[in-house]
Amino acid sequence: MLKVENVKKAFGPTTVLDGVNLTINPGEVVSILGSSGSGKSTLIRCINGLEKLNGGSITVDDFDVGKPKELAEARKRSATVFQLFNLYPHMTVLGNVTLAPVEVLKKPRAEAEATARALLQSVGLGDRADAYPAQLSGGQRQRVGICRALAMQPRYLLLDEVTSALDPEMTAEVLAILAKLAAEGTTMLFVTHEIEFARQISNRIVFLDKGKLLVDLPTADFFAAEGGMTNPRIAQFLSKMRKD
Amino acid sequence: MRFSDFTPFDIWLLLQGLGVSLGLFLSTSLIGLLIGTSWAVCRFYRVPVLTPVITFIAELLKNSPVLVQLFLVFFGLPGLLHIRITPTTAAMITLSANSAAFVYVIAVSAIESIGRDQIEAARVFGLTRWQVLRHVVAPQAMAFAIGPLTALLVNQLQVTSLISVIGVVDLTKIGNILNLRTLKPFIVWTVVGLLYYLCAKLLAWLGARFENRLRAHAAWRGLICSK
Repeated sequence: MLKVENVKKAFGPTTVLDGVNLTINPGEVVSILGSSGSGKSTLIRCINGLEKLNGGSITVDDFDVGKPKELAEARKRSATVFQLFNLYPHMTVLGNVTLAPVEVLKKPRAEAEATARALLQSVGLGDRADAYPAQLSGGQRQRVGICRALAMQPRYLLLDEVTSALDPEMTAEVLAILAKLAAEGTTMLFVTHEIEFARQISNRIVFLDKGKLLVDLPTADFFAAEGGMTNPRIAQFLSKMRKD
Repeated sequence: MRFSDFTPFDIWLLLQGLGVSLGLFLSTSLIGLLIGTSWAVCRFYRVPVLTPVITFIAELLKNSPVLVQLFLVFFGLPGLLHIRITPTTAAMITLSANSAAFVYVIAVSAIESIGRDQIEAARVFGLTRWQVLRHVVAPQAMAFAIGPLTALLVNQLQVTSLISVIGVVDLTKIGNILNLRTLKPFIVWTVVGLLYYLCAKLLAWLGARFENRLRAHAAWRGLICSK
């Protein structure tokens, strides 16, 4: 279970997260919606330990992200896919995917490479294992990013606006893979602006606004007229997003 | 044969001087590389107290003339600490420290040229700071630094000529002696200059080759358009 309890985060005078509570059970797909600057990405960065909390706590399978001794164990249980891919440019695709399994999980290189090749195959990049990130398209790079995360066999997959830097065609490539993962029962925390897609794959939708978690509802309820739509802020957000 | 002739034997003398210059250059550069790099690693780990001290020392070293530093070590230290310092030791200390300061500056900017995003990604996947340094930062920083480092080394080679002033018998000192004997400054200093030139060229060529290898190995287009 991934537990976010009363998390507060501020950058200087700016409050970014203001008492956020969230629980994700194994097997769930939870989407976080909200406008830019609402704190979605910061929440992900808090969960994977990139930001220090100003209050509250985050535990991943009972390992406290805020405690230096438990952070390493917590990080082994989750894996992040980044908005701008954040691949290592000096390593091949295979090198990118195998680095952490070999160095952190201490897997034998041959085994890590076999796993990596199988993963790359499954996202349609079986023939690009020896390419460098700069030789790939954005969509291909993000698929590598997903493989790099999956190679850690994470219990929780954290996806931080993974399609925001991609054009519609490449977005479709990446979303198809995520849909497959969701269908296979991968636990995902999915920060996104792809509302329709979030609706298709999520068990629950969470809406963040100005650092506060406005609602946390099952997907059907969130989009129902008598559910999330009763909240004026959410109704406004959804109507604006759908016009685009 | 008159004493004022410039003879083939004089070339041999100059080559011996060159040996001294190169020996000091290579050893002080190596020490400078080791010290400068370890200072930069200290900074990467953000070691408290040590990091500002290192930055301060590096600033002092790189913003004052090497000749002044050399005089300070050679004439100043013996009086202050009541020890004897030979010209060679003084040259070793000064040139090593000076190289270290410039290597530090290059290494720091090379490390800082690596995008934060990659380092964060590696940290999130559980790599320790050391593993991040070794697998993500160092290989890219090396390819970044090799050009400026080559330029620095070429410069340090020329800077060694300053040590002749405190009496180290290097290439320049021998040139000076030959000049006084032969009274043929144009010939002597041309030969001396050529010898430095050839060594510097060789060094630059080696650096360029090494750089090509580093970049070809990792298809370094990746450095320019990582996003």
